[in-house]
Amino acid sequence: MSSIKIKNQNMGIISYYTGFIILIVTALMTIPILTSLLFREWNPLLDFIISMSISTITGLALMLYGIKAKKNKANIQWKHGFVVAALSWILLAVLCAIPYRLSGNAMSLLDAVFDVMSGFTTTGVVLTQDLDHLSNGLNMWRHLLTFIGGQGMIVLALSLLGKETGGAYKIYAGEGKDVELVPNVKGTSRQIWKISMVYLIIGTAALWINGIIIGLQPVSAFLHALYIFESSWSTGGFAPMTQNIMYYHSASYETIAMVIFILGSLNFGLHYAIWHGNSREIYKNIETQSFFATSFASSMLALLWLSKIDAYSDAVMGIRRIIFNILSAHTTTGFGSVYARQFALEWGDFGIMIMIIVMLIGGSACSTAGGFKGLRVGIVFKGLIMDIKKILSSERNMRLYKFHHIKDYILEDGAIKSSAIIICCYMTTFAAGTILGTYYGYPLSSSAFESASITGNVGLSIGVTAASMPAALKIYYIVAMYLGRLEFISAFALIGYIFGGIKKACLSKLKH
Amino acid sequence: MFKQIKTLIIITVFIISFSENVYADEADEIIEINSLIENAAELDQKKVTVSGEAVGEIMNRGSHSWININDGTNAIGIWMNSSDAQKVKYFGSYKYKGDVLKVSGIFNRTCKEHGGETDIHGITLEIQETGSGVVEQMSSTKIAVAVLLAVLAASLTALFLIETRHK
Repeated sequence: MSSIKIKNQNMGIISYYTGFIILIVTALMTIPILTSLLFREWNPLLDFIISMSISTITGLALMLYGIKAKKNKANIQWKHGFVVAALSWILLAVLCAIPYRLSGNAMSLLDAVFDVMSGFTTTGVVLTQDLDHLSNGLNMWRHLLTFIGGQGMIVLALSLLGKETGGAYKIYAGEGKDVELVPNVKGTSRQIWKISMVYLIIGTAALWINGIIIGLQPVSAFLHALYIFESSWSTGGFAPMTQNIMYYHSASYETIAMVIFILGSLNFGLHYAIWHGNSREIYKNIETQSFFATSFASSMLALLWLSKIDAYSDAVMGIRRIIFNILSAHTTTGFGSVYARQFALEWGDFGIMIMIIVMLIGGSACSTAGGFKGLRVGIVFKGLIMDIKKILSSERNMRLYKFHHIKDYILEDGAIKSSAIIICCYMTTFAAGTILGTYYGYPLSSSAFESASITGNVGLSIGVTAASMPAALKIYYIVAMYLGRLEFISAFALIGYIFGGIKKACLSKLKH
Repeated sequence: MFKQIKTLIIITVFIISFSENVYADEADEIIEINSLIENAAELDQKKVTVSGEAVGEIMNRGSHSWININDGTNAIGIWMNSSDAQKVKYFGSYKYKGDVLKVSGIFNRTCKEHGGETDIHGITLEIQETGSGVVEQMSSTKIAVAVLLAVLAASLTALFLIETRHK
């Protein structure tokens, strides 16, 4: 096959599947359209019709361009999968931002893209203005985006595939997911959605009843319940009101949300195993062991420190505020039960340091959570122990080291190396964000806190993220959220693909 | 002598009343919510006055209720008598501009009664400005663009379906 033909075929495959994913996510705009109709919000209705039309045209145009490659049954290779994942996220971030911009609640398209990327990546930092006067349509869209982003747009699209497509796993893996619940990707994607939908019904009902008890009107209690569930389960951190979770003034509401976000931060494979009667998995799994160890240690350290500096005058209030915020940070949710600036003003440097560490560690792999994940921390930690033991034991003593994650795995150097590389990538992104923050004049601790929150897709803010912050910092944060969520590889593949294409084009021009 | 005593009494009364006014002015001085958060340690347990739009809805908890107000710099919860809270008729949302409230009360950096929340326990409430419904302005250009794009998208969908079914 000629190189031009191969190139066209590559472009065709990427174009077709990117268009397909865009169309599926675009179809979701019918939900805010119906919401706007129901609440008679005419301007948001028009905003969503415009956005849906533009997105449909884009998606269909891409599919039409690539339909020939699809009909030729061209094989999806790893590079296609990663590029489709990375490219569809970028295009969707722009297309889904149109209603934000048209509503006037985002001060620029950059701010709108920032908020959409924050939603998709389940980060939860907000640049949208005047949240308290947001339409129901736009609120529905914000929370829907974070809910879909938690499961993954590609997971959604693959679960709706008409028939099993060869190579679909490669697109699925491109979104930073690798769990195989059933032997095929379509089935796995559907299982992920099934788990999420069951929790959606239970969680929303629990929050709805609690909302009515704490004094919300039934209709708004339902909407708040739905939004807070979507945000908690996807470890997003968006809330419909400016005060975030503090709006409700309720320990029970916070507790239900906390249970949901802890569940959301666990691996879908773990949920699936427990649902199928393997409840012992919760104790045996390296990720849950790692999560509970780091949660316990960080909560205890924060409690000790904040009682030492007398931040909270009694134990009950200390436990309620500290445990909630630490777990919200660790699961990368980002609900804040204190004001953003209170972290900087009242938690002290040690408190901020603990928050930074747990935000970077994050939740479980193949969950809705961000961060470099408990699995990788567990593997690297076990690898370290393994190396020490190897040094101390006799050279003739050959022993296999294992870890348990759904099933038993032999701890190999390859797994340790790849985990360490991803951790290094996160740390580099975090460091670069911190340096950029300090360059723009923010204090070191605030820059580090915000950078960890962005890189780990957490969403807690110490006050740096605001519409008035420099555009370069907004762009960097968008990139960091995106890299953190896709776990770098897909984004690197896209960059490599683009540069490879440019290089080839330049070389062929030089030859001619 | 009597005249001097009279003058002294008048001056004393004037000084006392003036100093009371100064004190009253300090309590009445409206503080931005962000300033409260920034200076929480100094203002903790002090009487403060804030002014902002009531947003969301009232959350009745028996004899007392929560009302959240937003002054444009930030938002905070006000814990007040339910009878006072009932005076608030409009709450800010997409369709309503909420009543603007002036609330005086005790600011708590970490409220013991409410699990360490940062809140204000309201003592007096004044409705400075009554809210109202917001009339949506629809732009005819926006309607035209929406219709045009919807027709374009529908046409392309039809073209796509023909393309996929024919070949």
